[in-house]
This record gives sequence, structure tokens and C-alpha cells, in this order.
Amino acid sequence: MNSPLFIALDVNHGTLPAANGANYFENLFVSVFGYSTAGTVLGAGLAMFLACLAVFGFVNVFALFAVWLERKVSAHMQCRLGPMEVGPHGVLQTIADGVKLTVKEDIIPKVADKPLFIIAPAIVFAGTFIRFVPLPFSQYATAADLNLGLFFIASVGSVEVLGVIMAGWSSNNKWSLLGTIRTATQMVSYEIPIGIAFVTVAVSAGSLSLNEIVGQQEGWFFNWFVFRNPFLMTVSIVYLIAALAECKRSPFDLPEAESELVSGFHTEYSGIRFALFFLAEYAAMYIVSAVAVVIFLGGWWSGIPAIDQIGMGQGASTFEVVLGILIKAHVLIGKAIGIVFVQMWIRWTLPRVRLDQMMYLCWKVLLPISLVCLVGSAMWDLAMGAFADSNEYFLFFIPK
Amino acid sequence: MSVTRYFSNIFGVGKSIVIGMSITMKYFVESLLFKKHTVTVQYPREMDAIPERHRGIHYLETEKCIMCWKCSDICPVDCIYIEGVRGADGVLKDGWRGKKATLSKFTVDYTVCIFCGLCEEPCPPLCIHLGPEFDYHSTDRKLMEKNLLTDAVYTEDDEKFVQWARDENVRLIDETKAKKAAARAAKAAAAEQEKDD
Repeated sequence: MNSPLFIALDVNHGTLPAANGANYFENLFVSVFGYSTAGTVLGAGLAMFLACLAVFGFVNVFALFAVWLERKVSAHMQCRLGPMEVGPHGVLQTIADGVKLTVKEDIIPKVADKPLFIIAPAIVFAGTFIRFVPLPFSQYATAADLNLGLFFIASVGSVEVLGVIMAGWSSNNKWSLLGTIRTATQMVSYEIPIGIAFVTVAVSAGSLSLNEIVGQQEGWFFNWFVFRNPFLMTVSIVYLIAALAECKRSPFDLPEAESELVSGFHTEYSGIRFALFFLAEYAAMYIVSAVAVVIFLGGWWSGIPAIDQIGMGQGASTFEVVLGILIKAHVLIGKAIGIVFVQMWIRWTLPRVRLDQMMYLCWKVLLPISLVCLVGSAMWDLAMGAFADSNEYFLFFIPK
Repeated sequence: MSVTRYFSNIFGVGKSIVIGMSITMKYFVESLLFKKHTVTVQYPREMDAIPERHRGIHYLETEKCIMCWKCSDICPVDCIYIEGVRGADGVLKDGWRGKKATLSKFTVDYTVCIFCGLCEEPCPPLCIHLGPEFDYHSTDRKLMEKNLLTDAVYTEDDEKFVQWARDENVRLIDETKAKKAAARAAKAAAAEQEKDD
């Protein structure tokens, strides 16, 4: 079922009674547009547009929040207060900054390669934005439930590198070019541990669909994939480190190392184009965090079955179904924000690594460890499966 | 690199990361929840204590001033302007009364002042001081001159008053001179008349 609806019309996926959430939206859809082909096509187009708009709105609001959060977290870790003037505790500061960035003069250097310079931020942002397509926001709330969701996220993310290379090359600036070379090195290298982490999860889950992976982690929190076996726990840490590097965030912010490269690949950018790079960075932070939540930390399951069961039973009313979906959305996004916080925490603690240290970490530490974990996790599941279903075990191998 | 070193390296890095992150988390929580460590002062609403000997904006004890011009003379940047009439009963009666003077103007130009505090040193009655105030600001450099007599910005009205006082002073002096001359003339005339007699 590859429905483009934001609330996917996925009846076969869950075990839902007729009066439930998904059917409710399908009935609404049919009652508005009817069963005719033209109506369905029009409806699908409209739904696609709405889904895009909703995800875009989410990205913007999240970026506004995350920038504010980052400034507050950094301030309190450094014995400061951070933004305090615009709104209570400066919550509206990022909106003011956004307005400032949009009305600023948009400078294109004379020697820059103009078409590439203009298109680069859009490609970076699109490369980040398109990764939201298979990402679930809650149960039944996915833009499109691709059965290759994990693979899609890993592969489409590489488009971002192209945009960054374009930006650095077209700027015609030595800082930008150096930053670009570092970015290309870093992002291409760190895709490999991330890919192997995804494969490890896929081997355990037996599926690449994100909704399917989350569905397997239902129940108490020890059913989450982090706690499934020690190899998955290790690989989740490997994924977190590699994701930091993939987002170009400290301690792996070599591409924009302020002390050496002014600002790296976006040195020459100003105004709205710079804002797009900024937005893409924070959107990427959310994506890697949300993917970590989905594949390791139980996705929308809160870890307590009593909360998860709201709106799931046979006789659930529409209100209960919607309430359940909202609770699950809060759980998923809350967990993702928790991981975003950890990323910020790391950023304001650790100093930047050297280029050779960064490459050493990727190729000589993360890659071997993740490979061992891939084999180990598969063997573990095989061995445990020979005795019983692995869901019978509480924390690795201790029986419930 | 031996295998032992490889793993001890990874372990050491992990350990130091845990130590560092626990320190930042400690500071984050204590700063956020218990308001400890925070050094930022929200300036317009709250202020740090000003040191006792802080050299800020001047203030003048007008009634003590004897208009000796010593502060103005010692000022390295010549930013103190004084006008008035010396002597306890000066010609000008409408200014600010000092001990032995009548002042019509006593201003400091803060576009020039360097807050060296030298003006305080030679003052015989110790009447000019650099006070604790420090935020003296304006959107126009003409408004950066402070009238120490009224403790406010030196305005055009003050300027008019000073101008009037200047003219009045000249007029009064001329008047006195004319009176004296007339008196002398009268005296001379009287003497001549006596001689004639």
C-alpha cells in the first residue's frame, strides 16, 4: 500500500475494525470525491499536496524550535542564559531571526557559478526533505509507507552530498572548496556504517518497511530493538555516532570548522539561501533522530502497553482512535527530540576531531564493529529462534 | 598498533566522553533548575553592584562651588565649560548661587570626557565628583553635553539663559562703569565749583 495520504489509507496493514481511524479517513475521502477515476486522481493529487505541506510545516516548526533549544542548551551548559528578550525565555527569538534572514540582501559573488550557486541550497534542502517520505510520525500517519523505507532513507540521503559539493564548488572560494572536500569525504565514508546498521536491523526485523519494523516492537520497552540483543545495542551506538557525522555536527563539523574554514561550504551564502542550509541541517537532525527512534527505540510505542492500547481495541470509538494516534505521535516526536537533545549535548561537550581522526574512527572502528554486530546479531537471532521466539526474553536472554 | 592498544584506545575515548558529558549535564541541570553558576546579568532590569570608587557621570555640589576654574584648567581634554560671576555678591544675581560665585553655566561634554577623574583632585571645596552613573546616552551628539547645575541635558533653553546672563552681565558692568564715571564726573564738577568759589 503506497498511499500518498498523510494519514495513510492503510486498511490491510493494521487489524482495524470498520469504524476505526484509517477507515474513517477513507470514508471521508470517498464521500468527498466519490468513486470516479477523475475524483480519485484529483483527490490523490490534493492529498499529496497536503502531505507535502504538512511535512514542510512540521520541518519549519521543528527547525524554529530546535534552533531555540540549541541556543538554550548551549547557554545553560556554559553558565549563560541564552536568548531571553523576545517572548518568554526567548521562544520567539528564532522567528525574529528567520524574518531577519529572509529580508537580508541576497548576495551572489561575481566570480561564482551562478546557476549552480542558486540551485545548490535547494538541492541540499530537497535531499533532506525527501527523506521524510517513508518516515512515520505516528501510527497510520506516514506520507507513504514504502516497503523499502529504510533503503530509501539511506539512498536518498546521498543527494545532499551533491548539493553541498555544488555549493562549495560554485562559490569559487578556497574555504568553501576545502569544506566541500571534507564534506564529501566525511558523508560518503559515514554512509557505510549507517548502511550496515540499517542492514543489522533489517536482518532482525525481516523487513525494510519502517511501519513494519515499529510494529514488531510493540509491548513493553524490552521489546524495542535496542534491548533485543547486545549486538543491536552496540550497533545503535554506532548508528548514533555515524548519524552525527552524517549531519555534519560537532564533533564532526569539519566541513564548517569555524576556526579554520570561516564557515565551510556556505561561506559565501547569505539571506534566504543560508537559511535553507540552516533549515536542512536541523531537518536532517530530526530525521536521523526519528530513524534511530523508529529502528531502535520502539517508534511510537511508549514502552507501556496500557498507554499503547488506547484506540487499538475492537470497540474503540473514533475519539479514542484519534486520541491514540495523537498520543503515539507525541511519543515518537518526543523520543526524537530527546535524541536531538543528546546530539546538542554532545556538540557542546566535545571538541572537533581532526580529519585523520575522523577517518580512523569511521574505517577502523565503526566499520569493523558494525560488521561484527551484523554477523553477531544474525547469529544471536538464529540461536534464540531455535529455542523460542525472541520476544519471550526479557533483556537479551533472561527469560520473562 | 596492537590489539590491546586498539581496544584500550576505544575504551579510553568512551570513558573520557562519559566524563565530559556528565560535567556538561551537571552544569546544564544546575544552571537550569537551581539557577546556579549563571553569570549573565539581565542589564536593564537587574544590575551588578557599582564599585564605591567608580568613575562615572559627574555631579556637582553647586552651593559649594567657588568658581575657581581649577577643574576646567586641569582637564586634559578641556571638556568642562564654566561661566558666571565670581565674588559673593556678583553683578549677576539670577544664576545658581555658589559659595563665592554666581554660576550661569557648568557643563561637561561627554563626547570628549575620558573619565580620568583629574577634575576631582584640585577642587578646593571638593565639590565636583565622578558618580556611580554610567549610562549616559543620546541619539544626537549635541545632546551629549550635561548641565551639572540642573543635573540634566544641556538644552537650547539653557543656552538662551547663558546668552542672556552674558549680555546681562555686560550690561550690568557697563551700567556700573557708567554710574561710577558719572559719580566721578559729578565729584570733579563739585570740586571745580568749590575751587571757583
